[in-house]
Amino acid sequence: MPKVVYVDSAGEERVVDASVGESVMSAAVRSGVPGIIGECGGCISCGTCHVWVREEYLDRVGDVGDMEDDLLDLAVSDRRRGSRLSCQIEMTPALDGLTVDVPDEQVV
Amino acid sequence: MLRTEINELLTQTGPGTKMGDLFRRYWQPVLLAEELPENDCPPVRVKILSERLIAFRDSEGRYGLMDEFCAHRGVSLWFGRNEEGGLRCPYHGWKYDYTGQAIEVPSEPETSNFCANVKLKSYPMVKRGDVLWAYLGDPEKQPPLPEWEFVTVPEGQAFTSKRLQECNWLQALEGGIDSSHVTFLHSGNLDSDPLFKGSKGNQYNKGDLKPFFEVVDYEGGLLIGARRNAEEGHYYWRVTPWVLPNFTMVPPRGDHPVHGHFWVPIDDENCWAWSFDYHPVRQLTEAEVEAMRAGLGVHSANDESYRPLANKDNDYLMDREAQRRGETYSGIKGIALQDSSLQESMGPIVDRTKERLVATDAGIIKARQKLRKAALALAEHGTEPVGNRPEDQKVRSVAIVLPADQSFVEGIGEAMVARPGVPQTTV
Repeated sequence: MPKVVYVDSAGEERVVDASVGESVMSAAVRSGVPGIIGECGGCISCGTCHVWVREEYLDRVGDVGDMEDDLLDLAVSDRRRGSRLSCQIEMTPALDGLTVDVPDEQVV
Repeated sequence: MLRTEINELLTQTGPGTKMGDLFRRYWQPVLLAEELPENDCPPVRVKILSERLIAFRDSEGRYGLMDEFCAHRGVSLWFGRNEEGGLRCPYHGWKYDYTGQAIEVPSEPETSNFCANVKLKSYPMVKRGDVLWAYLGDPEKQPPLPEWEFVTVPEGQAFTSKRLQECNWLQALEGGIDSSHVTFLHSGNLDSDPLFKGSKGNQYNKGDLKPFFEVVDYEGGLLIGARRNAEEGHYYWRVTPWVLPNFTMVPPRGDHPVHGHFWVPIDDENCWAWSFDYHPVRQLTEAEVEAMRAGLGVHSANDESYRPLANKDNDYLMDREAQRRGETYSGIKGIALQDSSLQESMGPIVDRTKERLVATDAGIIKARQKLRKAALALAEHGTEPVGNRPEDQKVRSVAIVLPADQSFVEGIGEAMVARPGVPQTTV
C-alpha cells in the first residue's frame, strides 16, 4: 500500500496507508487526519481538502483540473505553487511516500 | 466557500471599485420607458452602482441622465421644473440641458459667462425596447447599443418589468444561475402559473430531483446545462445562458414566452431585478400580457415605486396553509417573490465564507471565477471584458431532449443563437 505523509503546521507528521485508487482526501478523512474536511466528498465544489504538495512530488501528481483551478483561486486560504485539492490526487504505487502540508484552517 | 476579499471584490460596485469599473463597461437597464412617458414629464431619481442621478426627458424628447444634485448648493433636482429644453432647479432657477450643461443662471448679469463653465456629471441614456439604458463608463470605451433579443423583437412581442430587491446584486444573480432550486421552490407554480403550465418539460423537471449540471464556456459567459431524466435513453436538458456581468435567461417551457433577467446593482445592499418575457416569432396574447401585469410568471405585483407588495415588512404575505395544501412549496406566492424572499433573507450581503457548496453549484463557482478574472484583468491590464459586444448578446436559453450519449453543446447546435424569425427551441 502506498503511504501518504500529512504534515501539519507544527511539523508533526501523520503517515497513512492508502489504497491504490483512493484519493489523498479520502485516505485522510478515513484516518481522521486533522485539517482535511472533504465536505463534498470529492465533487470539486467545496474546496475543503486543500493541501500543499511538496515540491519533489509535484511532477507525479498530475495536472490541476479546470474546476479545481477555480476553487483554488476562490476558496483556499493561501494558494501556492504546490496547492491542490487532495480529492483530485489519486494514489498509485508510484506516489508511495507522497508528502503534503496541511493548512491550519480549511475554512477562512 | 469564498474568501472574504473575493466576496468583497464581487459585491462592491460603487465608483472606484474593481467590480464597479467592470459594470461601467456595459449598457445597463436603468428605467422602464414608461417612467419617462412624455416630453417635459416629471424627472425621476435613479440610483445605480451607488451613484445618485436624475433622469428626465426634455421638450424635444431627448433623455438626460445626470448628477441628482444642483451644482450651486446641492439641491436635489428631483424637485426641478422640467421645461423648455431643460431641467431647472427650483431654488435659484439654474437650468441644465440633457447633457448636464448649465444653460441659465438667471441671477447672474447678462454679460456673465458663468454658466458656460458649469456642467453636471452626465451619462448617455437611450431607449431600446421598453427600457432606457445607460452607460456609466469611459466615453471612449462606450460599447455598441444593446442587442438583446427582448429589445429587438417587433413591438407587441415583449413585456418587461422591474422590481426592487433588497439585497446585493450577486445574491440575485446566483439565484438566476442555479436552476436546481426550481424543482423545489417553484414546484407548485409549474402546474398552476398560466405562463408556465402545460409543457412536457415540466414533467421531466418534476420527475427528477437530482439534476446533473454541466457548465461550459462560451464567448459571452457561460452555458449552464441542467440534465434530467427523460424517456428511455434520453435526457431533458435545460440550458441557461449567463452573459457577463448580470444577464441570465430561463430555459423555455412549451410555446410560452421566453424569459430572463438583469440584476442591476442600485448600491451594495439593493438591486433591481429586471424581468422580461418575449416570444421570438409571435405577438404576446392579451391573456399573457394581463398575467404578466398581474405579477405572474417571473414578474411581481408592485407598488408605484416598483417595490413588491409582498415584501420583507409583511413577511412576503407568507401563507402556511397554502404550503400545507401543496399549492406553494415555500408558502410564498409567485416565482419572483419566492426567489427574492429567500435571497433577501440571507442578509444584505451574504457572508460567503460560511456557505457550503455542493455539486449543483458548479455554475455559481464558474460565474464567480469569470467575474473575478474579468474585473482583475480590466483593473490590472485594461483588458476589455466580454458580454458588451452585440454578438455576445444574441443568445437564447434552450430546453431540449437529447439522446443520452450526446453532449448538450453538440445537441443544441445553433439553438442558443437568437435569430430573427426563428422560434425558440423548447419542450
